[in-house]
Amino acid sequence: MPSYSPYDWNESIQQRNEYIEDRLKDGSPVVALTYDGGLLLLSARQTQRKIYEIYDKLMFSAIGNQSDVEQIRVAAIDVAHAEGFQRSPDDVSVQRLVSFRLSPAIKKIYSDPFAQPVVLKGIFAEMGKTPDRDRLMLLSYDGEFSTTPDHAVVAGTAYAEDRMREHLKSETESGTPTLAAGLRAALYAWGVGMKHLESEDRADADYSTDGEGPKDVSAFIKEHLSKGWIVEAGVLERDTTRESRFRLLSDSELLETTGRYTQG
Amino acid sequence: MLRFDTPGAGGFADLFTEKPINYDRLPMPTPIPNVPGTRVVDTHGTTVIAVKYKDGLINVADRRATAGYTVMYDQAEKVLALDDYTLISISGSFAKSVEVVRYLRHAFKYFERSQLQPMSQDGKLMELQRVIANNVPAALQGIGAFIPVLSTFDRDTNQGRIYFYDVLGGQFETAEYGAAGSGSAPIKGAFEYILKTKGPFREMDRETALRETLTLLDIAADLDTATGGSAKFLPAAKYITADGIRDFSEAEIKAALGR
Repeated sequence: MPSYSPYDWNESIQQRNEYIEDRLKDGSPVVALTYDGGLLLLSARQTQRKIYEIYDKLMFSAIGNQSDVEQIRVAAIDVAHAEGFQRSPDDVSVQRLVSFRLSPAIKKIYSDPFAQPVVLKGIFAEMGKTPDRDRLMLLSYDGEFSTTPDHAVVAGTAYAEDRMREHLKSETESGTPTLAAGLRAALYAWGVGMKHLESEDRADADYSTDGEGPKDVSAFIKEHLSKGWIVEAGVLERDTTRESRFRLLSDSELLETTGRYTQG
Repeated sequence: MLRFDTPGAGGFADLFTEKPINYDRLPMPTPIPNVPGTRVVDTHGTTVIAVKYKDGLINVADRRATAGYTVMYDQAEKVLALDDYTLISISGSFAKSVEVVRYLRHAFKYFERSQLQPMSQDGKLMELQRVIANNVPAALQGIGAFIPVLSTFDRDTNQGRIYFYDVLGGQFETAEYGAAGSGSAPIKGAFEYILKTKGPFREMDRETALRETLTLLDIAADLDTATGGSAKFLPAAKYITADGIRDFSEAEIKAALGR
């Protein structure tokens, strides 16, 4: 049995983080925000679907290994449905789901040097009865989680996330946006984040705001959409007569947002 | 119950049977063993009606819940949505019906959310038949018969479908209308009279079809003690179209009742 020192532990955690961060860095960022009629999750993708319904008032999106995202997604759905059936749909909350069920399980896997870590950074978005009771929870590969109001993002680097948040903040300062305004802001923030991630020299791009002008970002988004990237947006609607509150927005509903970049 | 290791197959009941949790509150199906002898299964006190109309389906139901000769409750909801395009109208044991509906809602949604595609129409019908069939022992004991009418809008063929059931889970599709509950037998002839004299429901517009079905419900209330009238509380009335499920407004129901 080889000896195992604190140094080895530190080393192994560091290697783990490097491995995970390296795999996360190319993920297409995700934006979550509250709009006047509900909650919105937006990202852009090439082929694989990214935004999922978890429960009646709960949706999820993430960056990471698809197989890991899938496992967390299904685990969340299992937990939510078992609880919702045995107790009540009102007892299914993002807070209980993430902090008591998912986070400890992920933390356990992360802490086990012989286990394959979960490569994932995800957003769980829960719609409350009123906008101020909406809850956005971020869940990370090490089991860490945090709650934010109004808006949240996940992207491959902390700096890209910072810049995205900055833009979202300025867009939502004047009050809760409409769906159209929310979509516009979210797609733009996606562009800001993605552009930072794709900068040729990552070191230079970090800690700079170069290339963040509206023209640069617009051109960047335009280029991606013309290369076949698809904008995906899911909403939870606060006031709807439909049985399901979650739905993915259709192409025609997104046209007003994407049309700014694809037309003219 | 984090199943990080096993891939899910979309079966909601598997969540409970694979792991030993909370067996005191079993999900459906709930078989009851040791059935002593056989008895006649009563149809239960209520009337629920489903008809096809021009753009989809209409479901109406009275709102009375009874136990023997006692009126337990005057505001029971017997027309319930299972998903965006499916309504189930329940007759029989109210407690059992509510449990079944809760189970089916979760089963359909669980499948769709976990498998990323909706459960097929036939899959949903099979699930319902299985629940009814598993409930036979309880029905024979006289403590939980449950006979629904299911209405669903098929978006592929753009038309409504109505299914009714016997107590063993046998399923029958109907062309025009379906009804269940103790009040449904006395008004059977009235359905046929309407079909012969006024033409099929499926050619009527929404207002006409609602008026006819509410009239039938009114007749059922007159002829059957266990079916509630509309004097105290308005009957429940919903419709399904290609756009999903909607409630009739109070004004629409009152207008159809001629008030």
